[in-house]
Amino acid sequence: MENQSEQIVSEKGKGLLHRWLGSIVNTQSFRIFIVMAVMCIVMYIISPPFRTMSNLLAVAKNFSAYAIAGIGVTLVIITGGIDLSIGSIFGFSGVIATMGMVNFNLPVFPAVLLGLLVGALLGLINGLLIVKMQLPPFIATLGMLSIARSLSYIITEGYPVVGVLPGFLFLGQGSILKIPTPIWLLLVIAIIFSIFLNKTITGRRIYALGGNEEATKISGINTDRLKIMVYCVGGCLYAFSGIITASKLGIGQPTAGNGYELDAIAAVVIGGASLTGGVGTVAGTVIGAAIMGILRNALVLLSIKSHWQQFVIGIVIIIAVILDQLRNTEK
Amino acid sequence: MKKLVCLMLIFVVLAGGVLFAAGAGEKADKRTIVVVPQQLGNVVFLPAKEGMEQAGKDLGVKVDWVAPVKAEAQLQVEVIEGLIQKGVDGIAISCNHPDALKDVLISAIDAGIVVSTFDADSPESGRAFYAGTENYQAGVTCGEEMLKLYENHPKDRITVAILEGIPGAFDIESRKAGFLDTIKGSKLEVVYTGACDDDVDKSVVIVEDYTRSNPDIDAWFMAGGWPYIVQPGAMPEMNKWKLSDPENHKVVTMDVFPSSKDFFDMGLIDVAVGQNFYEMGYLSVKNINNILDGKPIEGGMKKEGFPGLFIDTGGQIVTPENYMNEFQ
Repeated sequence: MENQSEQIVSEKGKGLLHRWLGSIVNTQSFRIFIVMAVMCIVMYIISPPFRTMSNLLAVAKNFSAYAIAGIGVTLVIITGGIDLSIGSIFGFSGVIATMGMVNFNLPVFPAVLLGLLVGALLGLINGLLIVKMQLPPFIATLGMLSIARSLSYIITEGYPVVGVLPGFLFLGQGSILKIPTPIWLLLVIAIIFSIFLNKTITGRRIYALGGNEEATKISGINTDRLKIMVYCVGGCLYAFSGIITASKLGIGQPTAGNGYELDAIAAVVIGGASLTGGVGTVAGTVIGAAIMGILRNALVLLSIKSHWQQFVIGIVIIIAVILDQLRNTEK
Repeated sequence: MKKLVCLMLIFVVLAGGVLFAAGAGEKADKRTIVVVPQQLGNVVFLPAKEGMEQAGKDLGVKVDWVAPVKAEAQLQVEVIEGLIQKGVDGIAISCNHPDALKDVLISAIDAGIVVSTFDADSPESGRAFYAGTENYQAGVTCGEEMLKLYENHPKDRITVAILEGIPGAFDIESRKAGFLDTIKGSKLEVVYTGACDDDVDKSVVIVEDYTRSNPDIDAWFMAGGWPYIVQPGAMPEMNKWKLSDPENHKVVTMDVFPSSKDFFDMGLIDVAVGQNFYEMGYLSVKNINNILDGKPIEGGMKKEGFPGLFIDTGGQIVTPENYMNEFQ
């Protein structure tokens, strides 16, 4: 009798485990993780320098900043929107933070805060244009792309901002327990936004908004406020990404982030988000950014001409989306 | 309706402010000479802007600095088309590509605008003169300096990695060609070429990644000075590699920036070949103004197989021995 009940409990446990494993395996994030793992294994075999801890940490450090911007645009894409001003806000905020230190003698923390606030403000303007003026996100953020980039040139006159405070360099060049600071920052932000999207009511509402805006509105949710918030948070994350990069290089550059919007959006798409909204995860975006980082590193390590870089990334984006569509068709 | 009025008001205020800031209200009868670099925000060109501004002050002419946000020939063509419509008096341009800019520069000349080139030429456009250092020649100088660094070196094969900007960009390709032609047949062998798309962050990532994975590389040739715009702390791997064996690990780079001094201080650069962009900006404006006044071009010389006049703005070879003078 005892044996029989033990067997039932054990089978129940197995069933739960099986369902849990099944739920993980069936996620897009897991599938894209497998792609990344295969890439790592191939590189591990064919390129000994890839295996070194210093290289792996450098790859992670390099993609961390882009992944943080990617998390910002993931929120936007889940709502069914798009943001083309990522790179310009990235560059402008880096310039603002460094100018805060160099031109206005602000200490590190207020200067970084100022950069973040400027990013959030530009994101807020994006949101207001989309919601209050009913501009398509593509148009509103395309305008912001030009405005923010132009502001960077205007306030710097094209000159890089040099002479940042030594403490500022910790964000991009420092390390904690021998792991570069940008990786820690990405980890913290990824955990916060994963919990936010999956475990909070607002997070679930963001998915609902992207899945069916009308139904979400009818159910009494203030979708306008939600959208504005998402663009504002996105702007803040692009800004943080730009500030980390400014710290990594030790300068603020008006040209920083030129064209990075496509890299960030590519990371989100590779990570399984749907440009039609309602689908996307923070984990997927981080893995998408990691895949792009590994690809770039692999091309350098294997001495492959840089001309191929965009080609390979394009192929990966297309394959990732085809795989996802095939999977959905099977279902 | 209220929304529309509000929007229109915002637009009018913004447009007015922008036009005011851009100086649209200035008198149009003042002679205007426009300098067009390859791209806004490229630090290499900033001394040319300073030279242009100084020349404008000295000569009492209005000068302007107009460029596309990306180093693309088509965007530059659009800039020139706009300047033709605006009816400026003179244009000095650093061409993103000689052939792509040729036709629009011919149109500008046909419209009565005095056209010259600096830094990167378009010889077939019929421009009045070119001011600068030939990019091919600059590449040759880099090659010669690299060969000198490895003169009498015991190794039979010296491996060299190259950093370039946007693949196919005319100026960088010319420098690369000059460098490669010069080292041809020597024991120097190029084993890697990475392109950073004129992106400073990417340049650092490429140099760091390649050096980390190939610590046995002997030398780097930077066809543009992108990695030296940053702080030395941004390139720990490169610094480690260079300082681990300074006698055998060599770096030759194009361009000298104020930030290059920190790298020289730390012994991280062996040779930097700088171009005199200040003179390019100054002499371009000065000589366009001379032509408009019916005066001769100063310092222009005829070169065999070179259409128009060539104004050699010279360059400097900066080494650990002389860099302190350069940065004084």
